[in-house]
Amino acid sequence: MKRVSLVSRTVGIAAAVSLAFAVSACSSSSGGGGGGGSTSAAATSGSSSSAPASSSSSSSAAPSMSVPSGTGNANLPAGQPGKGKPAIVMGDKNFSEEYLLGELYSQALRAKGFTVTLKGNIGSSTTINAALQSGKIDMYPEYTGVIATVLAGLADNPKSAAQTLSVATQYENKHGFAVLNPTPFQDADGLATMKAYAQQHGLKAIGDLKKVGSFTYAGPPENATRYQGVVGLKKAYGLTQVQFKPVPIGSQYQALDQGKVNSIAIFTTDPQLASGKYTVLTDTKGIFGFQQVVPVVKKSLLAKEGPAFEQTLNAVSKLLTTEAIIAMNKAVAIDQQDPSAVAKAFLQANHIS
Amino acid sequence: MSFLTGLLADSGPTIPQFGQTSSCVTKNETFCWTWFTQNWSSKVDFEARLIEHVKLTVIAVAVGFVIAFVLAVLAHRARWMVGPVTFFGSLLYTIPSLAAFQILVTITGINDWTVEIALVSYTLLILFTNTLAGLSAVSPDVVDAARGTGLTDAQILLRVELPLAVPTIIAGLRVAVVTIISLATVAAFIVPEGLGKPIFDALNAGDFNTKFIASGVLCILLALFADALFVLLQRLLTPWASVRRAR
Repeated sequence: MKRVSLVSRTVGIAAAVSLAFAVSACSSSSGGGGGGGSTSAAATSGSSSSAPASSSSSSSAAPSMSVPSGTGNANLPAGQPGKGKPAIVMGDKNFSEEYLLGELYSQALRAKGFTVTLKGNIGSSTTINAALQSGKIDMYPEYTGVIATVLAGLADNPKSAAQTLSVATQYENKHGFAVLNPTPFQDADGLATMKAYAQQHGLKAIGDLKKVGSFTYAGPPENATRYQGVVGLKKAYGLTQVQFKPVPIGSQYQALDQGKVNSIAIFTTDPQLASGKYTVLTDTKGIFGFQQVVPVVKKSLLAKEGPAFEQTLNAVSKLLTTEAIIAMNKAVAIDQQDPSAVAKAFLQANHIS
Repeated sequence: MSFLTGLLADSGPTIPQFGQTSSCVTKNETFCWTWFTQNWSSKVDFEARLIEHVKLTVIAVAVGFVIAFVLAVLAHRARWMVGPVTFFGSLLYTIPSLAAFQILVTITGINDWTVEIALVSYTLLILFTNTLAGLSAVSPDVVDAARGTGLTDAQILLRVELPLAVPTIIAGLRVAVVTIISLATVAAFIVPEGLGKPIFDALNAGDFNTKFIASGVLCILLALFADALFVLLQRLLTPWASVRRAR
């Protein structure tokens, strides 16, 4: 009996140690990741079955600001032009949307005959950028705003999606990498209300909140001092009557569902938005920055792979609308489907593989 | 609906049905047993993750032990080595694991080497210190007596000092193996292997409770099992101790 108690004491220490590591790993990985993506599924519970989100659904219309679509050829090549071309090592970052993007791009390339190794879950933007620049990977999907502010080190968000793309392109070109066509969707910060609340007050854009007068806004504590939060709402939109309620990251939707607050901070591709219960208000002043996804590819490799390579990636990017990525994020983060299976189903439905 | 979708085909992609999931999963209840059994040997494949975890741990502790053991035996004879080796070991031991992994990626790449180098570096201090302490704790009188019977230095080490140091060495191994079992979960930050993978996946995809709990409990069970193995090993290696206990 003595031995048993000794063993269990040791294991108690082990459990405490692993918990501590898990917690530290958590905070650092979500801090470094770009574009968001780590949100709590616990917040949504209403829709249990994974109903197909048809492309005609207007429920969760995200900000429909105009975004650049890139200048590269996006026609899907026929046949298997990738046969015999050099092998590619693709990476992706450490959250579910990136897993999906890595699977989507790599499976599409494989369907066109290219040889692709996907190294998933590499880490935060700085980690994966180090891996890219040291030649450990050849390409990965990245967010334009993250390249501009995190990697290129700009203090403020560029003022438009086009400008963000151009800053990102310049940075990557300088380091020997090409930036392909951006996706139609953006995974940027945003502001959402319940659909009924938006209808009641006639809210479409963030500026419309002036009509409401005093309103509450919940988000992670740092939003109190960020321009992409309370500061921007006051300065750019003149919403001086905003009352900030700090909540732990991921539990904003819960607070909104329970009627504790009027509006919340979100990421524009959060899977919770698939429920159609929420309205995302358009950020006409661009306080939240611009986060389209672009495949970042080593220039020398791009030349060797031939035009079909770039065309395949552009064809995939073109399909990735806000609704498409929200539906896929929901399948992965809430329904716990495998990202590779979700990507496969999407590519098949759109005749890419 | 299909008519509508067809009409709008030009304006956007087709979004297919991605499959059904139980309400336990979509509601993220505390533990979804059915989901766990479905993912034990396929999909998330906890079984394979557990085997990877064992592999990561065994390699790290074995390599770490060989290095630390050799250093400790040398330092036992050449005491001047103790300071520098302890300093170097402490240095490695105090580097935050995530930082160590991140720095190593730029040197060794995204592979098992990076993970093992980091994990081994965390075993060195514990194993070196304990092995040395075990050897140093052997009474000088015992060593003198052994020398008096005509044993050489090598024989004294193998037949007297090491056997007497076994309990302390194994105590070090127990701490090292339990530490590495928990640290190896962080390795999934770099290489998608081991029980850390479902933990990171859950952190990054909806904080799915069942994944946290399943991975955590498997880690704990593995640590329990490994610890029990060393206790057993110690009893086998030091039969005289159990005779003493019996009296």
